[in-house]
Amino acid sequence: MTKLHFSRKQLCIPYALFLLLFVVIPMLMILFYAFTGEGADGSLTFTFSNFAKFFTSTAKLSTLLMSFTIAIISTAICLLIAYPLAYVLARSNWKKKNVLLMIFIMPMWINFVLRITALRELLDLIGLLGTQNYLNTIIGMVYDFLPFMILPLYTTLEKLDKSYLEAAADLGGNKFTVFTRVTFPLSMPGVISGITMVFMPSMTNYVVSDTLSNFNITILGKLIDEYFTTYDNWHMGSMISIILLVIIFLTLLATGGFKEDKNNARGANLW
Amino acid sequence: MKKMTRILSSVAAGALLFTFAASAAGCAGSSSKGKVLRVYNWEDYICEEDDEEYGYVDLISAFEKEYEEQTGTPVTVEYSTFGTNENMYNELKINAAGYDLVCPSDYMIMKMIKEDMVEPFSEEFLTEGDYAKYASPYIKGIFETNTAMVNGEEKPWADYAVAYMWGTMGYVYNPELVDKEDLSSWAGIWSKKYGNMSTIKDSVRDSYFLGVAYVYGDELTALAQEYKNGTIDEKTYNAKITEIMNRTDEDTIESVKNALLDLKQYLYGFEVDSGKQDMITGKISINFAWSGDAVYAMDDAEPIYDEETGALISKGIYLNYAIPEECSNIWFDGWVMPKGANTELAEAFINFLSRPENAVANMNYIGYTSAIAGDAVYEEMLDWYSEGEEGDLDEEGNPLVKYDLNYFFAGVEGGTYNDYSIWVSEESLDRQIFAQYPTEEVISRSAIMQNFSNEETAAINEMWEEVKGLPIPVWAYVVIAVIAGVIVVAALSYVYKGKRTAGKPKKGYKLLKRGA
Repeated sequence: MTKLHFSRKQLCIPYALFLLLFVVIPMLMILFYAFTGEGADGSLTFTFSNFAKFFTSTAKLSTLLMSFTIAIISTAICLLIAYPLAYVLARSNWKKKNVLLMIFIMPMWINFVLRITALRELLDLIGLLGTQNYLNTIIGMVYDFLPFMILPLYTTLEKLDKSYLEAAADLGGNKFTVFTRVTFPLSMPGVISGITMVFMPSMTNYVVSDTLSNFNITILGKLIDEYFTTYDNWHMGSMISIILLVIIFLTLLATGGFKEDKNNARGANLW
Repeated sequence: MKKMTRILSSVAAGALLFTFAASAAGCAGSSSKGKVLRVYNWEDYICEEDDEEYGYVDLISAFEKEYEEQTGTPVTVEYSTFGTNENMYNELKINAAGYDLVCPSDYMIMKMIKEDMVEPFSEEFLTEGDYAKYASPYIKGIFETNTAMVNGEEKPWADYAVAYMWGTMGYVYNPELVDKEDLSSWAGIWSKKYGNMSTIKDSVRDSYFLGVAYVYGDELTALAQEYKNGTIDEKTYNAKITEIMNRTDEDTIESVKNALLDLKQYLYGFEVDSGKQDMITGKISINFAWSGDAVYAMDDAEPIYDEETGALISKGIYLNYAIPEECSNIWFDGWVMPKGANTELAEAFINFLSRPENAVANMNYIGYTSAIAGDAVYEEMLDWYSEGEEGDLDEEGNPLVKYDLNYFFAGVEGGTYNDYSIWVSEESLDRQIFAQYPTEEVISRSAIMQNFSNEETAAINEMWEEVKGLPIPVWAYVVIAVIAGVIVVAALSYVYKGKRTAGKPKKGYKLLKRGA
């Protein structure tokens, strides 16, 4: 029997196929739709009009602004809640801390639509539903995406080399200085990972905004959906998707600027 | 659009998946013999369960069985569903020859007829089929008088489409918290009094209708007065209402936008499917609804009493349904056969569904009102709604009122009743029966919403986008400004810091280097 041998190239074939079928081709289709429009006789023509229309429409720009604001606030709150938690968890010597971590991650195992529906009832109970649409949406986003912030932060802080902290303390840094000059800069990759993982879905996850704001708040994801399902205009829908993609890419680029030293990125970059 | 979400919808979805698997397997086995009928329908819009207690019949399997018995040829129904008319239309554009029978809403039917996408029905079907026999003369009349242009020829809808379900639009409301009087006008919910208590549909066409009814409220009321005075006859009255409710000029769209933006501040929110449930749980007290959903909400909200002891099992509310006096929308979902369809099979399936006993099963299951009349349907309605006979008294000792349904049921093949009326108590006049079958008076002021041209649709969609996307609260601008400020400061300090330290190596490094 000859042994089965796979070269590295061959091992990549399954993913390459996947990439081609489910990433490259759909992307090309979205690009195609975004830059075409239907003429009077129904024929497709190349056009920039979708792009122009997006940036001249008050409604679309408002939606963009609203999604952006909601995503930024949600991300900031997630960070504010998750960082201290991840810090305490990572620094604690408690042997069972994995159990504690699991408790924070566990909501992710329950179907997300179900969780949001339950949250809707809860918000109704405390009287927020129907009155505080923006607050509800942000609560929902934070509730939903918090684990995505905790995980990368915890992994970075956990793997942080304790000898750095000892060295900083030895050199006379008080606890605050050690945190601001050593711990926080070194956890930057985790922060960035967390931010991107929360920010992106918060811009588009319209199940949360629809359910908790009673459809009062429109975010970009919803707008894309409307263009595909009810407005019956795939071209504009694709264009909004492309614009969203560019915005997220720019955000990544901007946050990536903080990564001064590649050696600092110790594994925590989850994706 | 007129779909009914049932509590067990997930179960149904599972069952549907199973049917798919089964039919796929069946196909593979019998592709050489037998025929395939591909039906494309709204979700949860056909009875697909067998349950004697509730009067359900699995109509798809029943049809397959019956067809084979009658013709000797086995048939498999490939049943698939859609969520919006537009999705269905796109699917047909891409997969033109993929379906034999489709069930769009009224305006989409008009669009498809106009675009020459559908096959006409055969002469035999139109004169001798079960649909021809049992469909309500009232509904058939509408399909015969309304026309569409096909290749420059004016053709009645009836040549290309048959009605399946129909109904009106109105307000479902909780009479304990809402004055019936206030809802005699569509403008009733434009009020602080009902602030945060009402929802409308997250659907552009339905909300546009509501907006137009509000904007032209005065004109519509004046028309109603003229009709009452006898200055105009019913036909003119209805034609004028239809004209008003289908206005799509720039001014109308702008006014509707402002009206809906104004309304938004009083609303609890918009809804797709949650309105029924929110009415039942009491989150809201007024819901702009399709009649079928209204029936569902009213049924489910009612108190439940033990059948034997009469003891109260669950406390509920009797919801009411109101159709404001200015006008209403009358809507249909109907069957059409896309070009290239197997028309013989499709017609056989429609005829099967049109038999009164099958229409009853559908009405039991879906909750909407079938376009089919026939004695079986009438008897079912008697069973549901009749509270006695002429001269009887209701629980409070008031005489029962006659609810006249002759306009719908009379003149159907095999009809044995002289008078198709139901005797109900006065308070029932605002409940299920009214949502199920509007009175003739309501019908006289109901307009069919036409199919708008692509340009009109685009303009209305844009209006709706603005209604949904605006206004932005002030604090959002503040947040954005603060964030922008932080970014600018961070960038500046970064650049400044970079300049300050550039070319000035830190002391420690130098020492280290020397040491090395």
